[in-house]
Amino acid sequence: MKLITGNRLKDGHVVYVAVDGGLTTNFTLALRLEDTDAEAALAEAGSRRDVLVNPYLIEVRDGRPSGRDRLKESIRAAGPTVGHSLDPR
Amino acid sequence: MYRYDEFDADLVRERIEEFRDQVGRRVSGALTEDQFKPLRLMNGVYLQLHAYMLRVAVPYGVMNGRQMRRLAHIARVYDKGYGHFTTRTNIQYNWPALTDLPDILEELAEVEMHAIQTSGNCIRNVTTDVFAGAAADEIEDPRPWCEILRQWSTIHPEFSFLPRKFKIAVTGAVRDRAAIRTHDVGLQIERGADGQTAFRVFVGGGQGRLPHIAREIARAVPGRDILAYLTAILRAYNLLGRRDNIHKARIKILVEAMGIDAFREAVEGHFATLKRDDLRLPEAELERIQAYFAPPPFHPLDRHSPVRDRALLAEPDFTRWNRNNVRSHRQPGYASAVISLKPIGGVPGDITAAQMEVVADLAERFSFDEVRAAYEQNLVLPHVRLDDLPDIWRALDAAGLATANADLVTDIIACPGLDYCSLANARSIPVAQALSRRLADLDLQEKLGPVRINMSGCINACGHHHVGHIGVLGVDRKGEEYYQITIGGSPDEQAALGKIVGRSLPADEVAPAIARALDHYLIIRTEDERFIDTVRRVGPEPFGEAIYGTADATA
Repeated sequence: MKLITGNRLKDGHVVYVAVDGGLTTNFTLALRLEDTDAEAALAEAGSRRDVLVNPYLIEVRDGRPSGRDRLKESIRAAGPTVGHSLDPR
Repeated sequence: MYRYDEFDADLVRERIEEFRDQVGRRVSGALTEDQFKPLRLMNGVYLQLHAYMLRVAVPYGVMNGRQMRRLAHIARVYDKGYGHFTTRTNIQYNWPALTDLPDILEELAEVEMHAIQTSGNCIRNVTTDVFAGAAADEIEDPRPWCEILRQWSTIHPEFSFLPRKFKIAVTGAVRDRAAIRTHDVGLQIERGADGQTAFRVFVGGGQGRLPHIAREIARAVPGRDILAYLTAILRAYNLLGRRDNIHKARIKILVEAMGIDAFREAVEGHFATLKRDDLRLPEAELERIQAYFAPPPFHPLDRHSPVRDRALLAEPDFTRWNRNNVRSHRQPGYASAVISLKPIGGVPGDITAAQMEVVADLAERFSFDEVRAAYEQNLVLPHVRLDDLPDIWRALDAAGLATANADLVTDIIACPGLDYCSLANARSIPVAQALSRRLADLDLQEKLGPVRINMSGCINACGHHHVGHIGVLGVDRKGEEYYQITIGGSPDEQAALGKIVGRSLPADEVAPAIARALDHYLIIRTEDERFIDTVRRVGPEPFGEAIYGTADATA
């Protein structure tokens, strides 16, 4: 399975093409595509250049990013693994 | 410090308005990403993994309290409450919205800051010795020359589309605290035969995929000719440098391919034909700029501070911080204080908005309104009274900024790595954190003495791993993170590239492996021998054996 991801134009946040055709920041709500449909869907996403930057396909398996870029895509989906720097309590 | 004149102010304002228009056209869809990308990069705006990233220039690392407060304000209002100081002495914001960026640049312009030349194939922010104007061994304060280079290079029409980016560092002391020989051009101030300023010029240094230590191209270029000589270097590079292969486009590759003598000849050819008078700095202008960097009004003080001495007796934690983070100053009764941005287990170089405000306050109250960014991703209060050190330490301690590890083994340089960076192959920060926690014991750190550990998440080497005494490079092996360890690199006047000592290791094996190398150092060092000196004496191999467990543990 594949899904389409990219960065949202106005704030750069990681987004996915959602089931309803919109964009979602939630990886689990992304539209899963059969490999055969993926390229056509990507081409359509690429036409939305006023909302989506650099869309591309990623591989998913068992609900998680898979393939060579699985770590990068997991970090994109969940945020930095080191959290955010906060004031000491 | 330098203050903008009307030309600087107009230039920055015009640039912001231009960028505001460009952002508007991008958001409306009038510009494609391919059209917009080079425009945003010229204004320091990257698109990273999670968001846009804004890299703000801190020219030669010098800031005042008002600027630091504004950086804090931007972190709080437009970001997630923190910023990240880089190895180019700049500050990066990881989470700004594109639509906020013109406003952020306006906020910066109000305090005479901008993001120009923090990206793109131009002359980048010039860096220098973080102790400039304070160090006792300085021949001449390099900051006026850095400012002259900034003015000369800013949006220079001939050098705005170089084959690749171009980095210049300047040191005013023989002891190199600016890593000049890892730069495209390194300048070392010397006193010329005529008693005037001269520059020893190094060229072709750089890290990245194909690291090189810079070679000497000129022994003593008179200060009055330095802009002409740099123009000649840049012109030769601009004409001869490769543009067909991004990995071979830096000047280091050109110098290597031509040989230093042939490259020198090309530069001398341009130098001979340049209208040097046009590029010669008028004496009055040099003096005008030097006046901005005149020493602050130091008070005549005794070399000894009873106030500090009392605190040293009373507060062991202050004593340790004083021992490790305070540096001697040319002015009796003063010191420079290193503010470590390397808390144990923290993100190297990160600082919160509240912490920035504490630093701004301390700079204003105690350091003639000046704070510096160090390329080691720390901050420095350059001119503080010894008498004030206990108060400064208490304020830093309350803000979580008093980690007493400057130049020690947990003062780790690390790039943002795969947690943020779209170029990275592996994470840097968690590996640095694991190492920091493992080596947290300050008694052990002091026993180990100065050890520079540098870490990069990809071969671009933003974390300077090639010149770490111990370097760590993250690599991707079929989707898994592995880390290659180098030993024996050095960024200073004895600049050297580290040697790879064995196979790369999984993330969780890095900290134990480095700890074994350090244990081995403690066994084999001679009295008072620093880690890097032991490596220079015995070579990197024994440390490789310790790392990979092939040495006899009792040896």
